[in-house]
Amino acid sequence: MTAKIINGSRFALALIWMLIVAVLALMAVTQNPDFDSSIMNLLPKSEQQPKVQLAINQVSERFSKRMILLFTSDDDNKAQLAVATMAEVLTELPDIANIKWQVNDEDMVQAQRELYPYRFSILDPSIRKHLLRNEFKPVQDRALLNLYSPLNTGRSSIIDDPFGLYSELNLNRKNNFNIQISNSLFKVIGVPTPTYMLTLTLAGESYSPSLQKRVLSVINLEKDKLNEKGVILTMSGLLLHTAAEAKQANHEIATVGLGSLLGIIIMILLVFRQFKPLVLMIVAVTIGCLTALSVTTLIFEQVHLITLVFGIGLVGVSIDYALHFLCERRNCSAKTIVNKILPGLTLGLFSSVMAYAAQALAPFPGLQQMAVFSVIGLCASWLTVILCFPLWTHNDSEKSLVAARILDRFRQSFPRIEDRPMMIGGILCACLLLALSTLSSGDYADDVRLLQSPAESLIGEEKKVQKYLNASGSSQFLVIQADDIEHCLQKEEQIRPVLEQLISDNLMGGYQSITSFLPSLQRQAENNHLVEQLYEQQLTPFYESIDLSVSDIVNAQKIMKQTMKQALTPEVWLSQENSSAWRDLIVRQVDRGAATTIHFTGKIDEAAVIILKQLSTKDKGIVFVDRIQNISDLIGGYRSEAVKLIALAYLGVIIVLFIRYKLQVWRIIFPPILASIFTLSTIVYLGYGINIFHLMALILVLGIGLDMGIFLIEIHKGAHTWLAASLSTYTSVLAFGLLVLSDTPVLHHFGLTVFLGLSFIWLLTPIMRGNNSRKAILQ
Amino acid sequence: MRKAFFIIILWLPVTLFAQLNFIDLEAITISPEELKGKFKQEKFISDRAITLLSTGVFSYQRGKNILWKTLEPIENELIIVPSTIVNKQGGNELVHLDVNPTVRMINELFFFILTSEWRELSGLFELSGNLEHGIWTAELTPIDKTIALFSSRIALSGDTLLREITLYEKGGGFTKISFDKLSQ
Repeated sequence: MTAKIINGSRFALALIWMLIVAVLALMAVTQNPDFDSSIMNLLPKSEQQPKVQLAINQVSERFSKRMILLFTSDDDNKAQLAVATMAEVLTELPDIANIKWQVNDEDMVQAQRELYPYRFSILDPSIRKHLLRNEFKPVQDRALLNLYSPLNTGRSSIIDDPFGLYSELNLNRKNNFNIQISNSLFKVIGVPTPTYMLTLTLAGESYSPSLQKRVLSVINLEKDKLNEKGVILTMSGLLLHTAAEAKQANHEIATVGLGSLLGIIIMILLVFRQFKPLVLMIVAVTIGCLTALSVTTLIFEQVHLITLVFGIGLVGVSIDYALHFLCERRNCSAKTIVNKILPGLTLGLFSSVMAYAAQALAPFPGLQQMAVFSVIGLCASWLTVILCFPLWTHNDSEKSLVAARILDRFRQSFPRIEDRPMMIGGILCACLLLALSTLSSGDYADDVRLLQSPAESLIGEEKKVQKYLNASGSSQFLVIQADDIEHCLQKEEQIRPVLEQLISDNLMGGYQSITSFLPSLQRQAENNHLVEQLYEQQLTPFYESIDLSVSDIVNAQKIMKQTMKQALTPEVWLSQENSSAWRDLIVRQVDRGAATTIHFTGKIDEAAVIILKQLSTKDKGIVFVDRIQNISDLIGGYRSEAVKLIALAYLGVIIVLFIRYKLQVWRIIFPPILASIFTLSTIVYLGYGINIFHLMALILVLGIGLDMGIFLIEIHKGAHTWLAASLSTYTSVLAFGLLVLSDTPVLHHFGLTVFLGLSFIWLLTPIMRGNNSRKAILQ
Repeated sequence: MRKAFFIIILWLPVTLFAQLNFIDLEAITISPEELKGKFKQEKFISDRAITLLSTGVFSYQRGKNILWKTLEPIENELIIVPSTIVNKQGGNELVHLDVNPTVRMINELFFFILTSEWRELSGLFELSGNLEHGIWTAELTPIDKTIALFSSRIALSGDTLLREITLYEKGGGFTKISFDKLSQ
């Protein structure tokens, strides 16, 4: 009767659990889950001031959505035709917000005339320099030279702008890129073969796999056609990198996942010589993964691809519970097994959950996601094993496994530290010392660029495009904050001499400041005053030298005074055609006050960076942003954080284990600790710098290592426990360790650490084993 | 016989006043690697209807640079290379510009015309003109939209060498340059 009730309640519990899993999965599916592959999204958001963060977002959005296509051909006409054809094809794609490939003549005329009314407010820098020094004669000389020059450079009216201030301004105005307008198209200059440019802005995120597929399939199809016609297409854009990375990750998930699955299936079949254990294990792991995926999707909107890769790796850990159950089931009945293995499994779960939950404390969104995924997955698998397995294996036989006997014999032949404390202890101490000395010589590698693996060919194309166009990078820039735009502009004008100095000292290539196009109102008034002085001093002699009359002088002065009445305000400028390429230098959506950015072109020297950083000591509103450095610093910061997390995890586990095992706890703790040290030193020996991903992998090693130690102590029938422990190490090595083959650095480092760590643990645990009897240990 | 002679006479002017194209020009003119000579420039400023006269000397090295030295009424030395203009006055460098796209285009154009790069020009202009007794005149109408923004047409004339250029601006002004005492 009691047994029936127990059986009935077990059945009910199992049923409820299965229902929960099903409901969670249904809820997740209705959310329309999407996967994310951006490494940046795994990293913490910058701890910047809000305006600086807005600026960073704006800049990264601009760069992440932009693509540059260059068409090169020996035949100029073919290259021109290629641009037009590609533009036509791309225009039809809804994923593309806009395409720039030709200049509308009217726009160009308009852009050239738009600023004409402000010719006395915006001055060419070299003219301004002369006027500031009261050198009025050289300006007149220059106007005279231009007048007599055979080259007509769009000179304006001799009365409206006698000194040609507007054409001087236009003449010296540099373009964004190394581009010349040829036949209304953007032709790249300074290259041996005719090359034309097309830029496009994506409508959606470049990380979206579906967008990548749609855009790139169209471009690549056209690229092949162009290749046949002798036109080479060179491309640059984040989309290409994310697409390549996603492709690589997908490929690796497929190969590593499949490889590990096959390896596991073959081994399980070999050991159990039955299909049922395999099916049960797959069920346990699938339920674990499914529940983890459902809950992660429900908590975070998008599940990251790397989270998913680790999710597949979760197989290696949650399969432990199923393995231990099925191995021990060979020793005892379905009725008694739960009582027998529950303490071990629970402690194992506890230690793993502790280790994974520690990751959630790290402020990396990616790690938090992984922590949630693994903790939920483990718990779900554990519940499935505890609640459902006794029911599903009700009638199974209790026949010991051949593999267990063979493996146990091997283990028995392993030296035990207590048998030969001096020798084995000595060897271990020597290894430890060697490892520690290697470790102390090691370095850290926190540079975010080391963690990404752009394909060589892409880098080559990217560099070519950057070189051709002299384009600016997106990772370093200045953010200028003030109460309003006018004050931002004034601040920029104040720091521009510093930047000019850096250029003349050859510490910096160049920079893009909005004040080149939109001077502050204060500066405009100052410029007006300088022009007035120029007219006073030089207009009469200038006009006399070209035989113009007194009435012309009066007329010119009248026009000048009238023109000066209107100033170029940010509002007017923003509404103009010519501001379109530069509007992004103003940070949008700033709640209070205003912010602008200054971008750099070409290389920036370290010395220049120091000077740029110092700007903010004088004015807190000026911030130098170096995104790559910022992220690398953060990664470094979290690496040291990770060390603390690991220490914390170990400490928590030691306390709990100490309560149960008293002084025998060393048998469980030492193998993972020694394995961690040996692993890290091997990584250093291999020439890698330690980074956060190695340390996070160690948390996993700790979890699996503790499981093994606990199970071995808890369950006294050693042979099958050791088989289960060995199998679980094997499956984990297959699941995680295979990641060592990955070309994605993050995965490679993770896999390497797990592979080494688990191998060391598997070798060290038998050395530290007790007398093969739980009673002996607990006594 | 008389009839045949008459036909030949009738055909003569046709060959003498042949319609001109870029290929003809390439055959007729010589494009020396180096050339120097004197120039006379008339610049008509349309908004005040004045003409500015200047004279000077010039020399060029094909594909490399043009030295344009105005001697009267002001002294000025202009060194034009496709990407830069340098203005010198009394040996002092006055202007050094990394020129912007439009200016670069004008520069390049001046280069092509002065050094008789007919092949380059054929991609930018339509040509009409004629040849009479070894003297040719040609009118270039821009097909390149960018050039059309600042120049409506360019008139050229010469024999084996280019002798005169007139650049018509869109606003009504023009610059007429005639060459003299050319030597290689």
